[in-house]
Amino acid sequence: MSYKITEEGNISTVFLDGEIDMDVTEKAKEVILPLVEAGKEVHLNLKDVSYMDSSGISVLIESHQKALENNTKVVVKEVSKSVLKVIMMAKLEQILNLE
Amino acid sequence: MDLSESKDFLVHTASLKEVRVFSREVFEKLKINNDLKEELVLAIAEAAQNIVKHAYKGVENTADHMQIKISLKDDNLEIGFFDKGKPVVEENIQHRKLDDIKPGGLGTFFIKQIMDDAVFKKDQQKWVNHLILSKKI
Repeated sequence: MSYKITEEGNISTVFLDGEIDMDVTEKAKEVILPLVEAGKEVHLNLKDVSYMDSSGISVLIESHQKALENNTKVVVKEVSKSVLKVIMMAKLEQILNLE
Repeated sequence: MDLSESKDFLVHTASLKEVRVFSREVFEKLKINNDLKEELVLAIAEAAQNIVKHAYKGVENTADHMQIKISLKDDNLEIGFFDKGKPVVEENIQHRKLDDIKPGGLGTFFIKQIMDDAVFKKDQQKWVNHLILSKKI
């Protein structure tokens, strides 16, 4: 997994790339959670994420919940078809902010 | 087309990508369509992850290997997982309730959604745990 972050005002956009599994979840959390804890609105762009397993879904849930605690939000954007399928299998499409 | 292939992997999170590569290669040989292939790869990766996360809980840098065997015979797909970790207590295996939104606890749910059956066999002397996932395709 690789990533790129862009900043615009209070919005941080994290572009994740590759496959997100248990081996990279700590790295993903280290990228995302500090932004959320700093009160940023975080946009996760997943267009280049080709695979996500339950560990990756856990990162999305944890980020979402941490954002609620910090009175901000995480928006999940441009979800690839394969990742959307996993999100829907977990019945999270109504819970996560998908755009 | 009937086929049976197996491969050993070091029990480590870094092996999960290799598990997916191996699984995709086998399913491509079997000409399984892409959507089903990716679902099956997810189920296999979740089961392999469970070995790393649960059977080897608290064990770091083990030299142990797990074995994954994918077989197709008469449209019955069978995927075997063999490991030498802590014995699985089947009663303890349960996924979280979906409306209890929290990180974790979804891997087993995904496996059950994708596969027809998941059974632990006690038929091995060389290995400790032997899980068989099956699906009619």
